[in-house]
Amino acid sequence: MSEAVQYFQFVLAPQMLIGLVLGVAVILVALGLTIIFGLLDVINMSHGEFYALGAFFALALAQIGLPFWLLLLLVPLLMLPVGYIVERALIQRVFHSGDRHVRTLLLTFGLGLVMEDSYRLVFGPNPYRPETPITGGVEIFDIFLPSYRLFLIIVGAAIIAAVAFIVYRTRLGAMVRAAAFDRDMAASLGVPVQHVYAGAFAFGVALAGLAGVLLAPIYSVFPTMGRDFILMAFTVVIVGGMGSIAGVVVAGLLLSQIQAIVALYISPVWSDPVVFGIMVVMLMVRPQGLFGRLGHG
Amino acid sequence: MKTTRTILLAALLSATALSTAYAADTIKIGVDTPLSGTYAGIGQQVKWGLELATKEVNAKGGIMGRQIELIYEDSEANPAVAVQKAEKLFEVSKVDFLTGTVNSGATLAVGQVAERAKKLLATTVSFADSITGEKCSPNVFRVNAKAGQQSTALAAWLAKEKPKAKVFFLGPDYLMGRSTVSAFKEAAEKVGAKSLGEVYAPLGSKDYSQYFGQIRAAQPQVLYTSVAGNDTVRLFTQMQEFGLLKNLTLLGASGTVTSQNIAAIGKAAEGFATGVGYSTEIDNPVNKAFVAAFKAANKADPDLYGTDSYGLIYAYKAAVEKAKSTDTDKVRTALRGLTWSTPQGEKTIRAGDHQAMQTMYVVQVTNGQFKIISKVSGEDAIGPDTCTRF
Amino acid sequence: MVDALTRSMRASHLLLAILVAASLVVAAIGAALGDIFYLRLATEALIFGGLAISVDILLGYTGLLSLGQALYFGLGAYLSALVLMVVPSFWAAIAATTLASAVAGLIGGFIVNRVRGVYFALITFGMAQVAAKIVYNTRALGASDGLIGVPVIDINLGVTSISSGSPVGFFLFVLALIVVMYALAAYLLDTPFGRLLIALRANEARIPFLGYRTMTPRLAAYVVAAVIAGVSGALYPMLRGFVSPELMYFETSGNAVITVVTGGTGTLVGALYGSALLTLLKSVIGSFTPHHLIVIGILFMGAVIFLPKGIMGSIRPAIERMLARGEKP
Repeated sequence: MSEAVQYFQFVLAPQMLIGLVLGVAVILVALGLTIIFGLLDVINMSHGEFYALGAFFALALAQIGLPFWLLLLLVPLLMLPVGYIVERALIQRVFHSGDRHVRTLLLTFGLGLVMEDSYRLVFGPNPYRPETPITGGVEIFDIFLPSYRLFLIIVGAAIIAAVAFIVYRTRLGAMVRAAAFDRDMAASLGVPVQHVYAGAFAFGVALAGLAGVLLAPIYSVFPTMGRDFILMAFTVVIVGGMGSIAGVVVAGLLLSQIQAIVALYISPVWSDPVVFGIMVVMLMVRPQGLFGRLGHG
Repeated sequence: MKTTRTILLAALLSATALSTAYAADTIKIGVDTPLSGTYAGIGQQVKWGLELATKEVNAKGGIMGRQIELIYEDSEANPAVAVQKAEKLFEVSKVDFLTGTVNSGATLAVGQVAERAKKLLATTVSFADSITGEKCSPNVFRVNAKAGQQSTALAAWLAKEKPKAKVFFLGPDYLMGRSTVSAFKEAAEKVGAKSLGEVYAPLGSKDYSQYFGQIRAAQPQVLYTSVAGNDTVRLFTQMQEFGLLKNLTLLGASGTVTSQNIAAIGKAAEGFATGVGYSTEIDNPVNKAFVAAFKAANKADPDLYGTDSYGLIYAYKAAVEKAKSTDTDKVRTALRGLTWSTPQGEKTIRAGDHQAMQTMYVVQVTNGQFKIISKVSGEDAIGPDTCTRF
Repeated sequence: MVDALTRSMRASHLLLAILVAASLVVAAIGAALGDIFYLRLATEALIFGGLAISVDILLGYTGLLSLGQALYFGLGAYLSALVLMVVPSFWAAIAATTLASAVAGLIGGFIVNRVRGVYFALITFGMAQVAAKIVYNTRALGASDGLIGVPVIDINLGVTSISSGSPVGFFLFVLALIVVMYALAAYLLDTPFGRLLIALRANEARIPFLGYRTMTPRLAAYVVAAVIAGVSGALYPMLRGFVSPELMYFETSGNAVITVVTGGTGTLVGALYGSALLTLLKSVIGSFTPHHLIVIGILFMGAVIFLPKGIMGSIRPAIERMLARGEKP
C-alpha cells in the first residue's frame, strides 16, 4: 500500500503536474493560432517563429537591462505593430484570392523560413537562456514544483481568462466575432472589417510573443525554437475545433495529460505519434473538432 | 580612349595570369561543413580552427612552398546536401583533400563520394565508432577521438573517484544517443558501477521534467547523459529548477556540454564531467600559443572541434611533406602511422583503422571553465581495431 | 475538338519539349567538357523535379496541398537502396518501389482523403513527420546515419546498358524516365478522369448529382502522385549511393512545394522548371552566404504574392494563344 502511495507521490502525480505546466505552455502558443484561424481563415505557418520573436525581443531587451516584469508587458506591445504590418502588407495581398487557405499557408510558410534564418543572422546559432525570474520551489502535498512553474500556471490561467473575456464579453470581441461569422454583414453594420482583421492577427501574434517571453526561462532561446511547439499547437487547435478558445483550453489540457501518461507507461518516443494519431482520428470522425468554430454556433 | 582600353585590358590580362599562377601553386582543401542548420555552431569552430592553422602554415611558407587554400561549402548538416557539395569540391573546385563533415551520417556518405572520386576525407568532429569500425573506408581518416575513447576514459575516472557508483542513464532517443549510453554503461559496469535504470527522451524534447520522477525514485549518485546542444541546456537547467542537482554527479558525452552551450547552461553545468580529447587547460607550449592565437582571432575559446580541426592541417602538412606529393595513394600511406604534434599533445593515426590515438582527458566544469581532473593514455583508451576492409 | 484543358496541356508539352532540348544541349556540353558535377547536379534536379510533379498533381489538379510528399519519396529511396544492396538490378528496384508506393498511397490516401483544405495539408504533414521519426529510430534502416554502400548499377535496356555512375548516361536516362512519368500524368489528367478532378476542385457538392463518386477520383490521383514520388525517390540512391532520414524530413516536402509554386501550379512542366531554377539558385547562393533561406524565402513569398500562377503558369497562356491561332483552318 505505502508503495502505491509512494509511486503516486513520486511518479504519477508529478508527471501529471508537469503535464499541466506543459499544457498551459501549449495553450498559450495555440491561443493565437486559433484566433487567427477562426477569424481570418488563415493557417499561420509562421506562428512558431512569432513565438520565437517574442523570446528574442525579450532577450535583446533584457540585455539592455529591462526587468522581466516589464518585458511581460512590453514585448506583446511590440509584437502588436509587427503583426498588424504583416497582416496589412503581406496577408491582405493574397487574402481575397480563391485559394485563400493554400496561398496564405504558403505565404506564412515562406515568412517562417525568412524569420528563422534572420534570427540566426542576428543572434547566431547558439542557445541563450534568460535567468529564471523566480527561483526556488514550493511543495504541494509533498510534490516539489519550482515556483516559476507555479507562476506560469497562474499567469497562464489569467491570460486565458482575459482572452476569453475580451473575445466573448467585450464590444471589441463582439465585432471580431461578427466579422468572423459574416464579413459582409459585419461591414454593412459599420464594423471596420479591415482593421478588425489586422488587429486580430496582431493580437494572435502578440499572444505568441507573450508565450515566448514566459517560456524562455524554461525552454531557452535559439533560432529554431519555433519548431518545438508547432505540431503540438496545430494538433490542439484541430482537436479543440479551429477557432474555439474553449476548445484550445480543453484539448491542450487533455492532450498534454495524454502525452505525459504515454511517456510514462509506453515510451516518451511514442508521445508524439500518439497525439498525432488522435488528431488524425479526430479529423476523420469529427472534423470540426470538439467545440467547432469561432463565431459559429 | 584607346589607351585606357589597352591599359584596362592589360590589367585584366595580368590579373588573370596572376590568379592562374596563384591557383596552380596552392594546395586546395575542401571544407564541407554545416554553416547553417542544426550544427552551425560546430561548423563555426571547425572553420575557425582550420583558418587559424592555415594562416600559420601559410605564413611560414606553406606546404612544400605551396600555400594552402580553404574552399568552403555549406553542408546544412544534411547528408544529401553534404554529398552534393562534396562532389562540387572534388569535381569543380578540384580540391586535393576534404574535411569538415560533422554529423556521422554525412561523414559516412561523403566518405563514399571520396572513394568514388579517389580522394581522401578526414573528419574532425564525427564520433560514431562505426566510421573507423565496421563502416571504415580506406579513404576516410578521423583525427578526433571516437565515442569509445571518450567513455573508456570517463569510466576509468568514475571507478577511481566513486567506486561502485549507482548510475542512472538518460539519453536522446536515436541510435547515436543510445549507443553512446550503452557504451558508457558497459565500460562503467566493467569497472564496478551499478546501473539503476535508463530513460530515453525524444531528440529535441522541450521538457525533461517528466522524467524527473523516475530519476528521483531511483536515487542515483551519478547521472550519465548523451544529450547535446540545446537539449543539454534544457535538461540541466530544468534539473536545477527542480533541485535535482544536489548530491548528484553529472557525467556525459563530449558533445553534451561545449563552448556553444556552456554559457546558456550557466551554473547548472557546475561539476559536470566528461571524457574528451581536449581542454584549453592542457599544459604544453603548443596549446598555450594556440589558445592565445585562437582567442585573439575569434574572440572565443577553442573547443574540441576547433582544436581537432586545427590539428588536422598540421597532420596533412606532415603527410604531404613525407609523401612529397598530394597524390591520394601517397598521402594515404604517409598518414598511416603518422605521429604529429597538436595542442592536445602528440597524436598517432593507427594504420589499421585510420583512427587517431591520443591522450584522453577527463574534464570537469569548475567556475564555468573545463578543468582537467584525470588522464588516460592513448593506448589504453583506443580499444581494439575492428576495421576489416583494409 | 480542342478544349481549354487539352490546349493548356499541349502548351505544357511544348514547354517540356523546350526543356528536353535544353537538357540535351546541357548534356552535350557537359559530355564534351568531361564534366561530372553539373551533370549529376542536373540529374538530382530532375529527380526532385519528379517529386515536385507529384505535388503538382495534388495541388494543381485536386487543389489539395500535400506537405508530406517526402514520405513516398523517402519510401522509394529506402526501398530502392535495400533492393539494390541485395540484387543490383534497376528493374527489380523500380518494380518494388512502384508496388510499395502504390500500396502505401492507397493506405495513406484512405486516411488523408477524408478531409479537405488545410486539414489535408496538416494531416499529410503530420503523417510524414511520424514516418520520418520511425525511420530515424529503426536500426535495420541505419537509423540516423542512413544506409551507405548502395552499389553503382548497370541498367539493362535490352539493346544496351547504362551505368548509374556515368554522368551523361544516367542524366539522359533519368530525363527519359521523368518525361515518361510526366507523359503518364499528363495523359491521365487529360482524360475524363482528369476533368472529373478539375470539376471536383471547382464544385465538389455537385459531382454526386452528375453520377460520379467523389472519393474514387481523389484517391486515384493520390495514388498516382504517390507512385511518381516513390519512383523519383528510387532514383536517388542510384545517383548518390546512399539514403538518409533527412530525405523524408519536412525540408524535402517543403522544397517540393516551393518548387511547384515558383515553377507554376497546375502546369506539370512548371515542377521541372522550378526544380532546375531552385537547384541552380541554391547552388549559387549557397556558395556566397549561409543564409540562403532568407533569400529563397523572400523569393518564394514574392512568387506567392506577385506571381500566383508561377513562372510557367504566367508564360503558358501566351503559348496557348499561339496554339489556338495555329488551330484555325
